Amino acid sequence: MYALQTSDLHHRFVNHDVLRGIDIQVPAGSIYGFLGPNGAGKTTTLRLVLGLLQTQQGEIRIFGKRFDRERIAILRNVGSLIESPSLYDHLSASENLRLMQLIHRCPASRIAEVLELVGLADTGRKRAKQFSLGMRQRLAIAGALLHRPELIILDEPTNGLDPSGIIEIRNLLMELNRRDGCTILVSSHLLSEIERLATHVGILGKGKLLFQGTVDELRRCRQEVLSIRMSTSDNADAVRAITDDGIAARVDEEEIVLPALTGERIAGLNRMLMARNLDVYEIRTVRNDLETIFLNLVQE
Amino acid sequence: MTAFIHVFHSEWLKRKRSFASTLVIGGSLFTPAVVAAVRLIHFRGLPAIYAADAFWPNMWQACWESMAIFFLPLGAILATSLITQIEFKSNAWKQVHALPISTAVIFLTKLGVILVMIFEFLLLFNAGMYVSGMIPAIVVPGVPHPRGTFTALPLLRENVLYFIDVLPIAGAQYLMALRSNNVLVPIGIGFMAWVGALAAVSSKAAIWWPYSYTIIHYISNKPKGARFASYHQLHWLAAISFVLLTVISYVLFVTKKERG
Repeated sequence: MYALQTSDLHHRFVNHDVLRGIDIQVPAGSIYGFLGPNGAGKTTTLRLVLGLLQTQQGEIRIFGKRFDRERIAILRNVGSLIESPSLYDHLSASENLRLMQLIHRCPASRIAEVLELVGLADTGRKRAKQFSLGMRQRLAIAGALLHRPELIILDEPTNGLDPSGIIEIRNLLMELNRRDGCTILVSSHLLSEIERLATHVGILGKGKLLFQGTVDELRRCRQEVLSIRMSTSDNADAVRAITDDGIAARVDEEEIVLPALTGERIAGLNRMLMARNLDVYEIRTVRNDLETIFLNLVQE
Repeated sequence: MTAFIHVFHSEWLKRKRSFASTLVIGGSLFTPAVVAAVRLIHFRGLPAIYAADAFWPNMWQACWESMAIFFLPLGAILATSLITQIEFKSNAWKQVHALPISTAVIFLTKLGVILVMIFEFLLLFNAGMYVSGMIPAIVVPGVPHPRGTFTALPLLRENVLYFIDVLPIAGAQYLMALRSNNVLVPIGIGFMAWVGALAAVSSKAAIWWPYSYTIIHYISNKPKGARFASYHQLHWLAAISFVLLTVISYVLFVTKKERG
């Protein structure tokens, strides 16, 4: 069962295709990290999902219901924060939440609960215009949590937060997911943030979904050896010898770069170079870290 | 209907401590306050004024001149624009459209708040006018209580008609304020349209200009304004133009491709 599913989602602004056939599948109960560089189309996707942009092509289903047919029923179970916080500066934190509480018709006691959750319980009558960027972000998150939604959509929720604030919000989202079982879709351009928070990841680049799966699947890619790097007393001579041995080698930044090889093959190369009176200073394997995978995906 | 009431309540709270709500209170009480202050300063002539049988009709005319020509149209221009612009200023349209409410309810509740604020404007003005009429009689020795009765029915009728006459301004301003993310645009255009109404009011064509109805209404009530007496359908024109402007606003609002 998917909390959110899009099929063949396209979107075009004037002369520019922003989304080109996005098929997102957010499993119910997951924390789905929606990754992509700035301008990849993350916010456009989320705005389409919430009905803030008219769907041009494709279909959006939330909890199995078509968004275009059951918008109001769906939005009763969705909490969201898109881009910068939407706050009424002339009102206090609790007054801002009161506006939403009236519409969601949830108990008024939830206002104090969510303010406590996001660490804004002691703001009293202080108006939102006096809040720091981090406090504004927390208040907007409180608004998204107010009616205990089953799906929470947060676009870059840690923007403007200091490191301790980022950790607090991350812990809060993980706790909500664990305790209430709600599905959380978080967009970010920060890989490290998503890696620590999400159970599932979707990577968007240039309007296409480049990867979708669990974080474990992404981590398995990480373990794959990408290349071997070697340093010798005469790299040029060593490259000739290795190439003669049938392995594609090249010199890069005073190191010899080789494709992934087995341990026996690496040991054999070492013996062969020593037999040619070449000193081998270093042999190391270069593994594909998450950042490399991400960059490779989005730059392809 | 329950949804409408809850959303209306939510919209009503947004105007709390806003400049628009301050403006409604200040604008509506300004003329009665000035009339009271002037009378207290020139208190020697008050006994004759207060002894007149037509004290309340005279008071009504004195207060309504600035109200009909200046405060009511400009109040409607400013209040409508500022209330609508709260969403742009707060970057909140996207949040409003992501709530479980229909577009029609969003549109109508916001318009409802604006209309109630205009009603509040008239209510406060009438209360202020009554108080400003009574103050000199209470505080200045020798000034009698006003003669003649404060008749409610004609007063109510006039208020309802002025309310109808100002509706086209609210409708036009609402249309503009929903389209523009810069508050100066609807206010600037509204102000120019009001100046246009002042310039055009001497012409018979003014009847077709939505910003001129409160001014024409006031002039028609004066003896010199008899040339407007034939315009008994003024209020119908005002009501029809308000409905037309509201329908256009709504169509443009629901067909907007990008919300917030």
